Amino acid sequence: MTETTDVVALAPRPRSQFVATGFAVAAGSMMMAGAIGWYMARRHQVSSPGLHGNWVPEGVAIPTPQLDYALLTLLLSVVTAHWALYASRRSDRGNTWLAIATTIFLGLAFINMVMYSLNRMDLEIGSGEWANLAFAVTGLSLALAVVGLFYMGLMALRSLGGNMGRVGSAPLGAAVFFWDFVALAWAATWYAVYVVK
Amino acid sequence: MSDITTEATDLSTTVPREDPTPFGWLNTADHKRIGRLFIGTSLMFLGLGLILDLLVRLDLTDDSDFVALDADTFGQLFVFGRESLVFLFLIPVFLGLAIYLVPLQVGASNLAFPRAGAAAFWGWLVSAGVFVGAYAGNGGPYGGWDDGVDLYMLALGGMVVSLLIGYIAVATTVLTERSPGMFLDRAAPFAWSTLVTASMLVVSLPVLLGQLVILYVDHRYGHVFLGGNFGIWGRIDWVVKTPTMFIYLVPVLGVAAEVVIATARRRVLEPLAMYFTIGLVGLFGFGAWMNFSITNEGSDLGDGFEGVVLVALYGGAALGATALVALLGFALFQSRKSLKLGGLNTSVLGVLGAGKFVVAAALYGLLGAGVDWLEIAGRGNDGNPYLRDTTWATGQQSILIYGAGLLGLVAALHWWAPKIWGRTLNDLLGKLTLLLIAVGATLASLGPALSGLLYDQPDLAYLDPAQTSLYAEAVDGGGAEAMAWLGTAGLLVVIAGALLFMLNLVVSLVLRNGTKADSDPWDGAAPEWMLDSPPRPGILDALPDLDSGTPLLDMAEAGGDEQDAAEEVKV
Repeated sequence: MTETTDVVALAPRPRSQFVATGFAVAAGSMMMAGAIGWYMARRHQVSSPGLHGNWVPEGVAIPTPQLDYALLTLLLSVVTAHWALYASRRSDRGNTWLAIATTIFLGLAFINMVMYSLNRMDLEIGSGEWANLAFAVTGLSLALAVVGLFYMGLMALRSLGGNMGRVGSAPLGAAVFFWDFVALAWAATWYAVYVVK
Repeated sequence: MSDITTEATDLSTTVPREDPTPFGWLNTADHKRIGRLFIGTSLMFLGLGLILDLLVRLDLTDDSDFVALDADTFGQLFVFGRESLVFLFLIPVFLGLAIYLVPLQVGASNLAFPRAGAAAFWGWLVSAGVFVGAYAGNGGPYGGWDDGVDLYMLALGGMVVSLLIGYIAVATTVLTERSPGMFLDRAAPFAWSTLVTASMLVVSLPVLLGQLVILYVDHRYGHVFLGGNFGIWGRIDWVVKTPTMFIYLVPVLGVAAEVVIATARRRVLEPLAMYFTIGLVGLFGFGAWMNFSITNEGSDLGDGFEGVVLVALYGGAALGATALVALLGFALFQSRKSLKLGGLNTSVLGVLGAGKFVVAAALYGLLGAGVDWLEIAGRGNDGNPYLRDTTWATGQQSILIYGAGLLGLVAALHWWAPKIWGRTLNDLLGKLTLLLIAVGATLASLGPALSGLLYDQPDLAYLDPAQTSLYAEAVDGGGAEAMAWLGTAGLLVVIAGALLFMLNLVVSLVLRNGTKADSDPWDGAAPEWMLDSPPRPGILDALPDLDSGTPLLDMAEAGGDEQDAAEEVKV
């Protein structure tokens, strides 16, 4: 049905999803900044000279290599996510499939590795201030990763359902943007909680 | 108007079709229905917040002991009341207005993400139910039911996430769904103000989420370092205090600009300054929040730097709000010859009153921050707590929630009721409502503010309300008690005003006694007045081609026949 009337063009606007994702990234950044800020402030307060001394409880061994590899895995998944976006923009279905599958696999591997590291620390939640703060901040990061994976999977389905090419890949681009943020959020968590401690 | 050829089927792909039956409200994705759901539900929650505030104030009128509540119950109701007024009423009611109006004002067929808007409402409603249930079961801060305290934190987090989703949908609509050619500095002032609020909320409320997660983990697993349910309120109270509260009230400034521009039939002297001042007030709310909250835990700010920042920020807010009120007032003054006394309807008087209260709140803040600054710098009265930790904070809240928020809402609903529900509200009842709320808010604010300023109070009177029994030992006899009574009397007057407003809504809208409105009963300037009142549910298959947020005023200035133009695009 075609009719002529005074209306604005209402073609789908791919920018909307990117802008909304930008807002979500800003919100997530502030959430992580607030939580990590709280962690750092308490660390400063508790471990100041003359106060309690040990911030990280004695006997807790942080599995640094595993956590480093978790970060590297996540960074690698960022590369594959951009590969997927690149391929999708060029309407290269095969490479898009491969890159998205690799990204999701690496994302799951990252979550698995962090969970394994937490188990390896042999640290009970509720056993002390550092434990509770570390679990809370790490948990927030992992929650973001789960949301990012879900978002990536959803947009990947849309992309593979036929939304490819420069314009059609915009939803996938928004998901990749969020995934970049997930990596940044984990990098900040890793540095604050497990490197600086 | 430019003629653009389009296919109607294109429109139907942007918005799901609406079920016209009552069942359609449950699965609606129409921004107009979602907006009405938000407005109606949050108005009901207003009653809860008012009753809780009244109970708390009544208990403080006897400085010898708690009147009816024990210390823990007092603490629970104190927190419950404040959070209800903000998260169950103030933020959602203006979000509802924004969801309804903003797409119409920018020339969009719906929200950018209509399903997200619906999810925001239902998520908020379910969380609100759990939130109230948690308190009812003796949960929440100072509660005795451990699981109820956890439930409270989950519910508060759920409300925050839902409201953020709603505001992100609105902000995205403003940024990406504007009619081609409508630049941001020509958007309708209300749309601009919601964009400002949304942006500031997106960068402030998520911090509360992070805090809630930490509080939840510590409370759920061992009460290791945050003092259990007693340690919650002091860490999250910034969301219901000034200066953060200014962020929630920026839409009131947008309402004021809309109403005044339409009534004066002219633009303000410097339109860009209007947009700038609205943004400045919102920015201030965020800036001062950073100062409060980022530095709250384990900081050492005894050098007075915190005080300097706060004084500067409150000064900026006062300047911004005053400049905006002056701009709007001057526009009305310029139109004084064409304005009739009858033209000063409830909406005009309401927004002028609300604007005045925003300025007053900023001045309260400036005074309070100044006194606290002297205290921090060691030049104040030794041993006195910071004003912001006494009942002074309640005074600031009252002037913002009841003075600016409620008064602004009354003005906004009187203005947009024809567009939202198709009928006008009773103007006489509206003016009486304004009078009651303005007088009540002033008294409800002055009582606790003067009590905090003039009488010694324990610093826990606000920071840790469960310790308010110390109030009895610290306050100076009859004076503080009289101030508490003054505030309580003021709140009773506010409640009378709110009841009158509800009566007006019921009689005019539910019982359909209000005058049936045509498309533009106020000679409005904004785009929504070019559409039917109310626009029919579902997608609008013909929208005006806009390049400005005040198209009717543009046409009037150009000498065109705006009525003809409005009819041309009526749907």
